[in-house]
Amino acid sequence: MNEASLVGLCAATVSFGALLYLAALGEMVSEKAGILNLGVEGMMAMGAVTGFMTALEFGNPWLALAVAVAVGALTALLHGWFTVVLGAEQVVSGLSLTILGLGLAAYLGKNAVGRPPGAVLAPVEWPVLSDIRWLGPVLFQQSPMVYLSVLAGVVVWFVLSRTRTGLALRAAGESASTADAAGHSVVGLRLTAVAVGGGLAGASGAYLTLSVIPQWAEGITAGRGWIAVALVIFGAWKPGRVALGALLFGGTLALKTRLQTFGVDFSPILLSMLPYLLTIGVLVVISIRARNRPSPAPASLGIAYRREER
Amino acid sequence: MSRPVLVRREEVLRGGQPLSFAIGLVVALTIGIVLLLGAGHDPVAIYERMFVAALGDPDSWSVTLNRAVPLGLAGLAVAIAGSMGLWNIGAEGQILAGAMMAAGVARIGEGWPGPVLVTAILVGGVVGGSLWALGPAVARSQIGVNEILTTLMLNEVALRLVQWLIHGPWKDPDSFNFPLAPMIPDHGRLPTLFGRAHVGVIVALVVIVLFAVAVNRTAWGFELRVAGSSGATARYAGISLERKTATVLVMAGGVAGLAGGIELAGTADRLTEGVSNGFGYAGIIVAALALMRPSGVAAVAVLFGAVQIGGQSIQTMGVSSSVSTILQALILFGAIGAGVLSRYRVRMVPGDPGGDGIQVGASA
Repeated sequence: MNEASLVGLCAATVSFGALLYLAALGEMVSEKAGILNLGVEGMMAMGAVTGFMTALEFGNPWLALAVAVAVGALTALLHGWFTVVLGAEQVVSGLSLTILGLGLAAYLGKNAVGRPPGAVLAPVEWPVLSDIRWLGPVLFQQSPMVYLSVLAGVVVWFVLSRTRTGLALRAAGESASTADAAGHSVVGLRLTAVAVGGGLAGASGAYLTLSVIPQWAEGITAGRGWIAVALVIFGAWKPGRVALGALLFGGTLALKTRLQTFGVDFSPILLSMLPYLLTIGVLVVISIRARNRPSPAPASLGIAYRREER
Repeated sequence: MSRPVLVRREEVLRGGQPLSFAIGLVVALTIGIVLLLGAGHDPVAIYERMFVAALGDPDSWSVTLNRAVPLGLAGLAVAIAGSMGLWNIGAEGQILAGAMMAAGVARIGEGWPGPVLVTAILVGGVVGGSLWALGPAVARSQIGVNEILTTLMLNEVALRLVQWLIHGPWKDPDSFNFPLAPMIPDHGRLPTLFGRAHVGVIVALVVIVLFAVAVNRTAWGFELRVAGSSGATARYAGISLERKTATVLVMAGGVAGLAGGIELAGTADRLTEGVSNGFGYAGIIVAALALMRPSGVAAVAVLFGAVQIGGQSIQTMGVSSSVSTILQALILFGAIGAGVLSRYRVRMVPGDPGGDGIQVGASA
């Protein structure tokens, strides 16, 4: 193992971590408002394909990102419409959204398969910082999406824990009837949270096809949306812990392709089970602890709210 | 000015679910037409091809029925748990686990006579699926770990376990270094009934009927449904929730695992990553459309089988088979939307539209 390959591993960890973080952060916002959205994989695929195709058409990566965010949010609002407005089962609607998103993305992107990207979200060069040994390549030669994901994390943390809107949103997820009684629109809050979640999943998808793997292929999301769902639990619905989890899980993705380079005789396939097994472990720990202290999960998560039935 | 308001019906419309289902189908096909036209295809020709390929003659029926088997069993695996108010999202992983165990049995039992081997393969499937559900079942019943998330996570683990097996220990030495498991022996394959339909069709139907009777007509099923509608009532009636939760989830896993065994010995003939090609997830839609009633999954599964087989056939016309994936999800969304109308009616009330648009649940 030499210095270059270790730096490469760390840089890839940060890059994959940011990819997972964006989607997980979005899912966290949605869940904080009480809506479980298992459509992350589908929304990510929709963002990935529409971002890539916009870049092909217009050659502008920022326009592509904006389109991916908008498409992700709209896709999520389908889930929002069914679960928040019509009160449908969140699990069923979310999984259907994954199936629909993956199918629609494959259908839309048929002619984009194998084409070189029209534009990429190229790494940012920072004055002085980028040239620092070790730290420069790992932290300061990354795609702008890495810095945007950090910004998104700070904004989400601030809004959720330091503003009235955030308080209302969390109330909608903890006790919808209380939020309603306090004069907040539960429907409005939940729809907003779901849309924000979809936008972030769309951004994650665009980061994938415009930077991490700059191409489009059916199934390119490869289960990363499920890792994002796992991350929210792993990070106990807290933006900071989810970020740490994202780096850990991102590390397993980065290490997967590099095990052989490091001469480690361990199956990369078995390594890729780790995020899911760790998450199951965390779930068990949360449940055992829940006997003595409250679970970190939003109390109304997954429960539809109808005013007449409170 | 007036605005639409959804008002709860005093009684749910009778025959609402088949109607919702039909409306969902119409909505899905209509949106499908728009998508096909958008890509410059001829929707009529494509739908005709799909219909003929899936239901046109006995041969196509045999293929459709074969596909309905894993969809129906996966749907049943979700519905059994759903009858008790539990979510088994893990049918995908349980099918894979069943297929792995069944493939293991096929490796050991190469020398066994045909009927013994076939039976052993199917039993292996049941055991594999049950074992895969055992963890979430125990965790849920003993310490209350949310089964939605554990079963979901284990799907991804099962997929990677299959990949590991076929890239490593079970790689066929004669596969020219391709990651392929060896074929199961010929006498281990399921006997055929007609066309390409195999005995798995009958096995699945029998299992579905048995569970439908058990859930709807026995004391066991009654307790299950009581536990599903109210845990407190069930406890008061002396039903052991812990034990029932665990049994039901393990049974559900066994049913999905059986689908894995059937797929291995009936259609796939070797362990592959695609041995459960999203059947577990499609099964959740099937169960939802059947309103979590075991008695309804067979019919829905045949329709979904037809959509999937039809979708494969249009690839030769240059149309992506993803059309069928899209249709399946849209049928569900259409049916949920229509289902709301069987529980609510739309009434126009005077007043300003306000900011919320359609208001749900405003009192009459």
